Amino acid sequence: MLNRKETPAILPIEKINFVKPQVFDISTSTKLFFMKEVPNETTRLDLYFDAGTIKGDIGISSFVNGLLLSGTKDKTSIQINSEIDNLGGFFESGISNENAVITIYSLRENILPILRVIQDAIQNLAFIEHEVEELIADRRQKFKQNMEKVSFLAQRAFQQRLFNDSIYGRITNEADFDSITIPKLKHFFQENYLNGLSKVVVVGNLNQDEIDEIIDLTGSWSSEVNTQFENSIKNLRGGAHIVKDGAVQTAIRVGKILFNKTHEDYNDFLILNTIFGDYFGSRLMSNIREDKGYTYGIGTMVAELHETGYFLIATEVGKDVKDATLKEIQFEMERLQTELVSEEELLLVKNYMLGQLLKSADGPYSMTDLYMSVEPYDLDLDFYNKSIESINHITPERIQELAQKYLRWNDMTVVSAG
Amino acid sequence: MIKFERFKLDNGLTVLFHKDPTTPLAVVNTLYDVGARDEVEEKTGFAHLFEHLMFGGSVNIPDFDAPLQMAGGESNAFTSNDITNYYDVLPANNLETALWLESDRMLSLAFTPKSLEVQRNVVIEEFKQRYLNQPYGDVWLELRPLAYEKHPYKWATIGKEIKHIEDATMEDVKDFFHKHYNPSNAILCVAGNFELDYVKEVVEKWYGPIPAGIKPARILESEPEQNEFREKTIERPVPTDAFYYAFKMPERRNEGFYMADVLSDALGRDKSSRLYISLKKEQKLVSEIGAYITGSMDQGLLVVSGKLNDGVSFEDLDKALWKVLDKIQTHPISQEELDRLMIKIRTSKEFQEQGLLNRAMNLCVFELLGDAEGINTEHEIYHAIQPSHLQETALHILKPTNCSLLKVKASTNA
Repeated sequence: MLNRKETPAILPIEKINFVKPQVFDISTSTKLFFMKEVPNETTRLDLYFDAGTIKGDIGISSFVNGLLLSGTKDKTSIQINSEIDNLGGFFESGISNENAVITIYSLRENILPILRVIQDAIQNLAFIEHEVEELIADRRQKFKQNMEKVSFLAQRAFQQRLFNDSIYGRITNEADFDSITIPKLKHFFQENYLNGLSKVVVVGNLNQDEIDEIIDLTGSWSSEVNTQFENSIKNLRGGAHIVKDGAVQTAIRVGKILFNKTHEDYNDFLILNTIFGDYFGSRLMSNIREDKGYTYGIGTMVAELHETGYFLIATEVGKDVKDATLKEIQFEMERLQTELVSEEELLLVKNYMLGQLLKSADGPYSMTDLYMSVEPYDLDLDFYNKSIESINHITPERIQELAQKYLRWNDMTVVSAG
Repeated sequence: MIKFERFKLDNGLTVLFHKDPTTPLAVVNTLYDVGARDEVEEKTGFAHLFEHLMFGGSVNIPDFDAPLQMAGGESNAFTSNDITNYYDVLPANNLETALWLESDRMLSLAFTPKSLEVQRNVVIEEFKQRYLNQPYGDVWLELRPLAYEKHPYKWATIGKEIKHIEDATMEDVKDFFHKHYNPSNAILCVAGNFELDYVKEVVEKWYGPIPAGIKPARILESEPEQNEFREKTIERPVPTDAFYYAFKMPERRNEGFYMADVLSDALGRDKSSRLYISLKKEQKLVSEIGAYITGSMDQGLLVVSGKLNDGVSFEDLDKALWKVLDKIQTHPISQEELDRLMIKIRTSKEFQEQGLLNRAMNLCVFELLGDAEGINTEHEIYHAIQPSHLQETALHILKPTNCSLLKVKASTNA
């Protein structure tokens, strides 16, 4: 008779294969990372520029990023986009605090023809007036739309208070769009794109000649400077509320400045983070969603910057239960400080995290991303062997110790909007 | 080429197996042939609410997620107007844990009052978060009943109104389960580095004893032919005027579905598309514009939507838009343009099929359509499309009497 009450025997994960991409020097400070083992025709190419939002006047970085394919003296933006589409390419550009990244997706046979189009578009970018005006108008609309969202309002206020008076704490206001000028855009572009390439990442079954051509095409943009990033940021503790009339939900952001992968407590803290709020069965999900039904979702994360990092709790809750939710978040923090995690819960989290790591290393794209998330800190794949060690050896006492050290309610920045 | 094997259990469960020797993971994907279109108009949002309850414990297992997490896995699900799909991803050597969990919730649920009460609240918060508390969030709640008069596509998956979710009773829940959740109404796909014999053995072990059910007959109200232009304007506290032109298009099993798909790409998929170039870049009427299809099993919608630039009226847009739509009906598109659309379709498909989970899900969807092999032959349908087909499709679909227009007007206090 089949026993449906008992779980089938669970086998441990024996081994995770971590595969390092090949590394080529483009210049003294710019490298190309190449993952060749792709069993199909897909290819991805990322170009990282030292052109994140902390660079330049407020807002400039984001406009330059949005204008990269806006035309040269010989080609309009329509021509450039049509050429990329004719080759079946997908182009994305995005920006974070510290980087701007261009990504091209295509079939293997088309990646170089597409890169040639994009190289020319960037090398000869003209900042045509009507294109600049169009983007400013579009962004203005988008900004107004975003200001209608409680999640956006809370995120802005959180960023301001978390990063306090550091360069990371700058937030865009509508008035900033008025100060965007073509000379400013050109200057930023010249400094941070044409001389700002910091990394190239290629995933795809390309040959050496193709890699050499990618290096030839992009090499002249290599950054020669080593950007210095701020390292002593302190979050503003305590609460702030942004009023949004008519909102039926309230967005909550709670967090503090923490650390990045270079810190000795990082791996162990990730386990605490998972228990607290980073999987479906976490303390916060179990309490605030699955027991009380206050929200569709609540989660925590550790986000990293070059020299530091931060811890964040984010949720949207019914407008009547904002205070009740904050109380429960505080309660769950304190419970982790005062009660030891049970062996069973800890075992579940360990197994879950190992499964997640196995998934993060599955396939050339995931594997490359995994490598690229340690590379900025001068770490290598051995970091993940240390993660596994940390998962295998952590104790309930250590979890409690970390909660007492890092999850103190009074250290948190607490922001709500609604 | 995605290889798969198919076998059927005595209780009617269809099983697909896709072998991938390169991955250490397994995927267990279960598609139930039930969606919001199978609801009655007085009790909408039910298929989706039910999806939440499927995680609230089954007849022999009090908690669905914890044992899966203990096995290093994770799970999620989604509901559409057509289907409900559940998936588990976990280390391959723990495959049986997922089969144990999935088979038990196919057998029967725990039906605890607490789970119903909590998930009702969670879904209400989801309703608010996604549909009420976002600018333009309620557009589909308005557009569906404008475009459909009879067919159940006239309500959204989340439901017509919050009240329907608040009023759901345990009896409703049980009825829904017994009607729709049984082996003959499901397609299971197991994917990973396994041997077929092993998969047959463990699937038979866990699913074989589940009693066969009756596949519920689907008799939906058919949508009468639309012979009129429909228009509705709503005012909302949003910063920008927005428009949604929705055209009826053929159902999923019809060749015309693929033609409408390519037609929507030509109109507004990329920055080289007709509407983007004409209305945004050349005439500067809109800040954003796009065209896409709902991808529905039954008669679906081809939608052109976007936002007006400040100072542009709906009338200006309307004239310019119909000009573009008229042109694609009167002049066949060039081979170059068609080639461009085709290579984009081919490239996206290659990327989609990268992921094991996507392959497992798509196999189930094609099996539901009639034959999982469709995953490998679909491209032939695309490749047979000629410029003349697109012109005919455009003539047939892109006419005012087949169109429902929703305008969202920014109210002054925004």
